[in-house]
Amino acid sequence: MIQVSNVSKSFGQLKVLDDVSLEVQSGEVVVIIGPSGSGKSTLLRCLNCLEQVDDGLINIDGQAVRPGVNYLKSKDIYRLRQGIGMVFQRFNLFPHMTALENVIEGPITVRKTPREEAVEKGLRLLDKVGLADKANAYPGQLSGGQQQRVAIARSLAMEPKIMLFDEPTSALDPELVGEVLAVMKNLAKEGMTMMVVTHEMSFAKEVADRVLFMDEGKILEDGKPSQIFSDPRHPRTREFLKKLL
Amino acid sequence: MDSLSFIWSVLPVLLKGLVMTVQLAVLAIIFGTIIGLIIALMKIDHRPLLNWFGGLYTWFFRGIPLLVQLIFLYYGLPAVGIVLTPYMAAVIGLSLCGGAYIAEIIRAGIQSIEKGQMEAALSLGMSYGQAMRRGIVPQTYRRLLPPMGNEFITLLKDVALVSVITMVDLLRSAQLLNQTYFRPFELYATVAVLYLILTSIFTVVVGYLEKKLTLPE
Ligand SMILES: Nc1ncnc2c1ncn2[C@@H]1O[C@H](COP(=O)(O)OP(=O)(O)OP(=O)(O)O)[C@@H](O)[C@H]1O
Ligand SMILES: [Mg+2]
Repeated sequence: MIQVSNVSKSFGQLKVLDDVSLEVQSGEVVVIIGPSGSGKSTLLRCLNCLEQVDDGLINIDGQAVRPGVNYLKSKDIYRLRQGIGMVFQRFNLFPHMTALENVIEGPITVRKTPREEAVEKGLRLLDKVGLADKANAYPGQLSGGQQQRVAIARSLAMEPKIMLFDEPTSALDPELVGEVLAVMKNLAKEGMTMMVVTHEMSFAKEVADRVLFMDEGKILEDGKPSQIFSDPRHPRTREFLKKLL
Repeated sequence: MDSLSFIWSVLPVLLKGLVMTVQLAVLAIIFGTIIGLIIALMKIDHRPLLNWFGGLYTWFFRGIPLLVQLIFLYYGLPAVGIVLTPYMAAVIGLSLCGGAYIAEIIRAGIQSIEKGQMEAALSLGMSYGQAMRRGIVPQTYRRLLPPMGNEFITLLKDVALVSVITMVDLLRSAQLLNQTYFRPFELYATVAVLYLILTSIFTVVVGYLEKKLTLPE
């Protein structure tokens, strides 16, 4: 489903991704952990082309991304992104649209879905994330947890094959983390292919098929959560996990 | 004739001038906003040629006094065979110049929207244009209102400059009346009051729109 081969990416002098390779199968849930600045966000952002890779090859569901295309003006990349949902740490809902309008925006504008059909599906998705009663609320009227669930519904409305989550609960008050994780667990159960950057180790242990540990732009560890948490191979992983607990 | 009766007697003529002033201001605001939006989008585009053109435009039209632009359009261009009516010269001059200032306001407004909004829109598969049109630009309306309101009032006041190219606006109609009646105090005081009324109405309307566009929290 996702194939990353020898991808490198630098910001100026700083090498943020250093010859990264990985593969994600359809239906797999992969959790990425690692210290701040290790390149986790950048890796996700490269997958849906919010960042341009310098080197290497990304193949997503048969579509190849190579360095050197114009990311802002490529129809191929617009199409590629339709199949990849992205959930951000800061939700990034459109503040001038209600929850429902946020959710139906993609289908209507990008897919040209008829409005009634989009609304019907949008309401179903809001129901799925437990927010059927908030359809007409503006983001400013919702709690962080509710906003994040709307954001997940907005991504799902495009019927993506892959969902990317970049620290989806890091901006939330502790008591609101659970409701977002619950929605994500459900998605995982339904067989969604997911890549999740998170510091929620309970989620990783419970839901992940694999855990990647990143440090200084490299994937130092890639294995089952049970193995990584109980018996990390790399000293850096051990150090990181110790600090976390 | 006492002052008040004099003002009352010439008021219809002044109001005709006032209507012309408002008409020019409204046209300049409409065309200026369209031009401003286009130039702003050029300035933030990722294509260098468009950036360059947008920059050139604002540099040019903000760098030359509007009075000079109007005089050039009306008195200068005929020398190269382009003859504009005063009305056309006024509308073109005000719109081109207003557009340059409005472009800067809109550009700043768009750039004040957090980067994450564009990324969220692109992540849904929108093109850059769709993301701008649906996601970014509508968010700027509320933020743009106060500076745009200021700019509109400036444009309204700048309309007075068209009297130098023989347009009979509010100021010019007072000047013409003065040539007949020699009562500058009453005439220009009335002009000032009429301008104050106009700008006050404007301020109230902008304030009302601001309230209306504020999103519920
Ligand atoms: N647009 C950018 N321009 C310059 N440097 C950047 C940019 N984006 C990220 N970086 C730098 O790249 C490095 C990796 O960033 P990245 O956001 O991928 O890390 P991360 O693992 O997600 O960290 P965190 O846990 O703090 O989110 C950091 O040092 C960051 O400062
Ligand atoms: Mg990050």
